[in-house]
Amino acid sequence: MLVKTADFVIGPVFDAVDIGLVLLDNQQCIVGWNEWIARVSRLSAEDVLGKNLCDVFTDLRSGRLPDVIDDAFQVGSSSILTHALNALLPLQGEGGERLLHNIVVRPVVSVSAKYCLLQITDVTTAVSRERLLRERQNARYYAIVDSAPDAIITLDDSRKIQWVNGSVDDVLGYGHSELLGQKIDILLEPENALLPILAKTSVHREMPTAVSVVGRYRNGNTGHFEVSIGHWRADRRDFVTTIWRDVTERVTADAALREARDALQKINEELESRVEERTRESEVALRQLHESQKMESIGQLTGGVAHDFNNLLAVVLGSLGLLKKAIPRDPRVSRLLDRAIQGAERGATLTTRLLAFARRQELKVEYVALQKLIPEMLDFLRHSVGPNIAIHTEISPDVCAIEVDANQLELALINLAVNARDAMPEGGSLTIACRNEVDGRAVGLAQGPFVCITVTDTGEGMNEGTLARAQEPFFTTKGVGKGTGLGLSMVQGFTAQSGGATRLRSELGKGTTVTLWLRRAREDLDMPTADAESPELVKARHLRVLLVDDDILVSMGAADMLLDLGHSVTEAQSGSHALKFLESDSAFDVVVTDYAMPGMNGFELAQRIKERNSKLPIILATGYAELPAERSIEFERLSKPYTAKDLAAALEKAVNS
Amino acid sequence: MTENGTKLTEIERDALAEIANMGVSRAANSLRQMVGEQVLLSVPTVQIVTRQEASKLVERDNLKRLVAVQQSFEGPFGGRALLIFPEAQSLELVRSIVGDEHSLDDVIDLEQEALAETGNIILNGCLATIANMLHRTMRMSLPSIVRGDGAALFQSAGSAEQFVLFLYIDFNIKKRDVRGFIALLMDLPSIAALKEIVNDYVNNIQRQSPSHVG
Repeated sequence: MLVKTADFVIGPVFDAVDIGLVLLDNQQCIVGWNEWIARVSRLSAEDVLGKNLCDVFTDLRSGRLPDVIDDAFQVGSSSILTHALNALLPLQGEGGERLLHNIVVRPVVSVSAKYCLLQITDVTTAVSRERLLRERQNARYYAIVDSAPDAIITLDDSRKIQWVNGSVDDVLGYGHSELLGQKIDILLEPENALLPILAKTSVHREMPTAVSVVGRYRNGNTGHFEVSIGHWRADRRDFVTTIWRDVTERVTADAALREARDALQKINEELESRVEERTRESEVALRQLHESQKMESIGQLTGGVAHDFNNLLAVVLGSLGLLKKAIPRDPRVSRLLDRAIQGAERGATLTTRLLAFARRQELKVEYVALQKLIPEMLDFLRHSVGPNIAIHTEISPDVCAIEVDANQLELALINLAVNARDAMPEGGSLTIACRNEVDGRAVGLAQGPFVCITVTDTGEGMNEGTLARAQEPFFTTKGVGKGTGLGLSMVQGFTAQSGGATRLRSELGKGTTVTLWLRRAREDLDMPTADAESPELVKARHLRVLLVDDDILVSMGAADMLLDLGHSVTEAQSGSHALKFLESDSAFDVVVTDYAMPGMNGFELAQRIKERNSKLPIILATGYAELPAERSIEFERLSKPYTAKDLAAALEKAVNS
Repeated sequence: MTENGTKLTEIERDALAEIANMGVSRAANSLRQMVGEQVLLSVPTVQIVTRQEASKLVERDNLKRLVAVQQSFEGPFGGRALLIFPEAQSLELVRSIVGDEHSLDDVIDLEQEALAETGNIILNGCLATIANMLHRTMRMSLPSIVRGDGAALFQSAGSAEQFVLFLYIDFNIKKRDVRGFIALLMDLPSIAALKEIVNDYVNNIQRQSPSHVG
């Protein structure tokens, strides 16, 4: 550089520059000291000129500056000493604040000598500007990260937490400085998706940028978090910034929703199955209702037919009986008559069974001790089933007595024995057992004590279809002509009419068990007395009989029988007709009336007669058990069809009672 | 490269490495004074390459973001001296020098000045050593910071500086290892002058201990 001005200008220029200038000679003594350095060091030129720099600032000896100055003289090097790396001069600004400064050391070579120039630059403003700038940038940055509702956590490559934002308190419950230096692991459950990701380096670019984890709050509780992951690298080190969003509420709500949905579904399924069950139950009930309605209509039909048929048989039997007496003893005619009577009697037995099924049979309820009844009929049963079948009985002595029609019970047992026999063509065993049952409700009967009679065979058994139909009348598994199909129907009708029930259990190939449920006898029922004397035909006494029947044919048959028995008969075709006769003539000894009549029935008639003349004996003839049970004992009864013998016995009983 | 002497013989290479190591150990002393801890600097190899080759060498590991402290020098030979680091390593170097107690923000604030001063110390050390050996002075400019890829660092306004004396340099400061490069860009006369100096140095040593003749 060429300076064409005189030396007197250099001096003011030296003082006018806005940096510190210090000129040293090769002994490091101060030969130049401008106003700027004088001002900030508070040392005037007069104070320092000629002095060694290190004597003025003694702290410099331990620093790099003396060597650097030396180098400038020795090898001509230029150096810079910055405030960043060196403790330099004790300089102060106008307000006494410490001046940050850098020193540039340069060799200065003039024609005559070597010098070293120190240029001291105030960098306080620059540094504070940088700091301010940084703080402003940081302020913007912190405004974002600290106002973020999510916790932001930066980790180094050893998973240690380097930095957190203010939200860690709200989100995780940790104070701002509590987490610094800790491992991220303290925020996580041991099994989590985040650690494996952190274990990899940032080289794996395809790593997920967000994961769901179960995190741990400071209070030890756990919560659900979505963690976003950002890898970055600075200063040759890997860092990960994680952003934690607490989604516990959402997850909990989702779970609750899912649970509610599941519960609803479960309820729906239960409802469906319950509806199905109810439907099934109602189908079963409906089927049972249909079955019972069917049985009921069959019963009514059967009962009606049997009733009419019974009347006709009564006429036939009565007429045949009279005929037999009237016709002289011709063996051929007598045989034919006997056969006709036998046929009619078998017809009568059949109608009796039909009536039994229809539960319209006239039952003579009495006190029956099974310990006595069953052994007594064993001979007959053995005879019925044949020698191939062994009959066992199991009747304990404490089995209670029952109230049934003994004859019907015997008939029922015979029917069952015969069925058993037919089920065991190859032979087998038949067991009749009796036991007490405390309560009938188990099989749908009324509350109260029952006695069960079970008849068990070891025969073929029945399949379900057969079992279901077994109690229908005329249903038979026996070949054509071998059975009537009325056996079980009779049993069933009998037990039902007696206030009990019949239950069948059968297994194909193993046998069948029929259980009769019969009501236990009331304690107060009279013990049976010895039977009255065998009915003799009463001829000795002549009776005036009023015969009431709406069926002229039946009435004629009965009148014939009465006449044959030596009585006189007045026939009436209705109840009112009969009452007229009684009004005009009070000399009747006995009234024999049919029960089922249009208008006034036999029972009503009997009651009306009794009201007028309580002593007149009345016989109710009926094929039905339609009489009100509690009143039926008031009058003598006669089962249709009846023979002359039956009629005579009834008359005897009625007149003598 | 022609055979007009830009290639270094084995002896020249060894000698240059020795001179460079003397230079950086001088710098290491200065750094130790500043840091207050042991600082080790070493130059394992020396070679002369073209500028293009040099720009490739500094982009080692595909790290294209480089930072360099640059000083020009004049004297018996002239040119530019560059101390080059990958950018990330420069920050690591500054951190190791200014100390761990500073936050990353502070280190970034100080980086420019601290790097300039550190580069200044190292480059001065090398150049001063050479100047000392010659008992000559060299004029050296103040350091400046240059950033960019290899080509940007080695571009030259003129085409005079064709050759690069290329030295690898290893720093070990506070148990951190930092690797960088020292590149002296010189024109052909400067290279020749350098070689002459190196040969004088070799001859000098051989004269002092004749048994050492290789």
